[in-house]
Amino acid sequence: MNRRAAILGWGAVPVGTWQKSVTGDAVLEHELAVEVVLDAMTMAGLGRASIDGVAVAHPGDHTKQGYFHTFLTAHLGIRANATVVQVLGNGMTGGHAFDTAVHQVASGQADCMLAVGVHFETAVPTARHLDYSIRLTGDVDFQSVFGAVPIAWYAMDAQRYLHEHRVPRAVLASVAVKNREHARLNPLAQYRTPITLDEVLAARPIVEPLGLLEVPGRADGAVALVVVSEDVARASGRPYVLVRGRGFEHEGLHQLSDRAGTDALDYGTLRLASRRALESAGLALADMSAFQLYAPCTIVEVLATEALGLFPRGEGAAAAADGRTRADGTYPVNTCGGCLSRGHPPEVAPLYDVVEAVLQASGRAGPRQAARGPFTMTVCELGKYNAALVHVLEAVS
Amino acid sequence: MTPLPELRMTGARPFPPRVSAFTRPFWDALEAGTMRSTRCEDCALIGFPPRNLCRGCWSRRLAWTDLARGGVLYSFTRVHVAPAAFRADAPYAIGLVDLDDGVRLMCRMMGAVEPADIGSRVAMLVLRYDDGALFGARMTHSSPTS
Repeated sequence: MNRRAAILGWGAVPVGTWQKSVTGDAVLEHELAVEVVLDAMTMAGLGRASIDGVAVAHPGDHTKQGYFHTFLTAHLGIRANATVVQVLGNGMTGGHAFDTAVHQVASGQADCMLAVGVHFETAVPTARHLDYSIRLTGDVDFQSVFGAVPIAWYAMDAQRYLHEHRVPRAVLASVAVKNREHARLNPLAQYRTPITLDEVLAARPIVEPLGLLEVPGRADGAVALVVVSEDVARASGRPYVLVRGRGFEHEGLHQLSDRAGTDALDYGTLRLASRRALESAGLALADMSAFQLYAPCTIVEVLATEALGLFPRGEGAAAAADGRTRADGTYPVNTCGGCLSRGHPPEVAPLYDVVEAVLQASGRAGPRQAARGPFTMTVCELGKYNAALVHVLEAVS
Repeated sequence: MTPLPELRMTGARPFPPRVSAFTRPFWDALEAGTMRSTRCEDCALIGFPPRNLCRGCWSRRLAWTDLARGGVLYSFTRVHVAPAAFRADAPYAIGLVDLDDGVRLMCRMMGAVEPADIGSRVAMLVLRYDDGALFGARMTHSSPTS
């Protein structure tokens, strides 16, 4: 029990439009999964027989194939002796797939796990997609009845933040410019054309005060990770990244506290989960060289940096505007471009975040490489940070 | 008690709620112009939506109680890109309201609402659709028409 797990290989397609076919022929989830699984296994230098189990991110409502995990495992011709499982947890879904793979290895059930996810949604029109997604982030009988789309909850955080801390909208919007600057240097990113602050502010409103460039676009994606025991990783002779720490917290709420006066801008689950992750790693916040934060909107990244303790309450937006979360800043955040520009295929976004955390930890992030050391943190959430799942990684070469 | 002010809405509710034997008293009362919810007889917590278990202390001893008729606006947004079911309404505002009795809820905001209104008084409303009622709120200083 409690062995250490390591990431030995990964594969990912660029985030973007895969499901909405340009040729007229359908693109199928399991066919795309083959590409990323083989890339990940090749990087790990392992063959199919090494795989003990498969943890699959639930592909969401717009994937036709049901029981995708067993279907995919069969398509790959994998015999598994540890587990084959499909996991679901809102925006945390991909994080759960990774976490499940880590636990299978750490508990000794598996020496080698595949964590894999494919998210498709671009062939489904936005308005129809929203008919589905209003059922996810509210009480369907008492909240969804008002048309509260998922990002509406974050928008209300944004409106409150601007009011409470007297922050100009342009300061908050600067997060989008920073993330695009990072994405420009990331070949896996969906949106790579630089944008200006004026363009962000002039974009059409989506959920006030947030405009088109402050909320995530529609996106497909596919990622596979190979998670192995430390022994297997060491024996491979290849560079690997250890999972050093892990923390989780759920506050027992679904989107909204029903107590008047509750501070909705305090993402307290992240504060607790990140502390637990650092404690279990025996490390401090200052040891982290980069932070991958699940942040579908500008405001979410700001509130997450404040919850982590990178900046005092109410100062996260100004810190971002000052460049302190850039790849060359004090605390590099979302060096891949984040959900806004790397892209946001919801169920697999946390798997992309692990990929970036691996690249940053191991010094392989190219021109967007943050300066310092082998430790990185990756964070995903569910609801409106009603829960946070945090992993601390360490590169070993 | 005087019924809450009522606003006549066009058509049916875009995404109608389900009504259970347990939640029926809420919806029936709303039809009659009153917002109610459940109050725990052991720890006095008023929850919203109404629940058949106190989430504070797990007591099953819950009684219906009338909710406050007003409160303050905690935050709001205006949704411009809407689900297909709500397309006819877009853009529409939804808000978080802190009622005077300590309950926070989300509801539709009717009439004018602007960032400067955060922290200001709101009054609860019954929104009367062809097929039933929903609840909403408006700033007390604004006109109740949408």
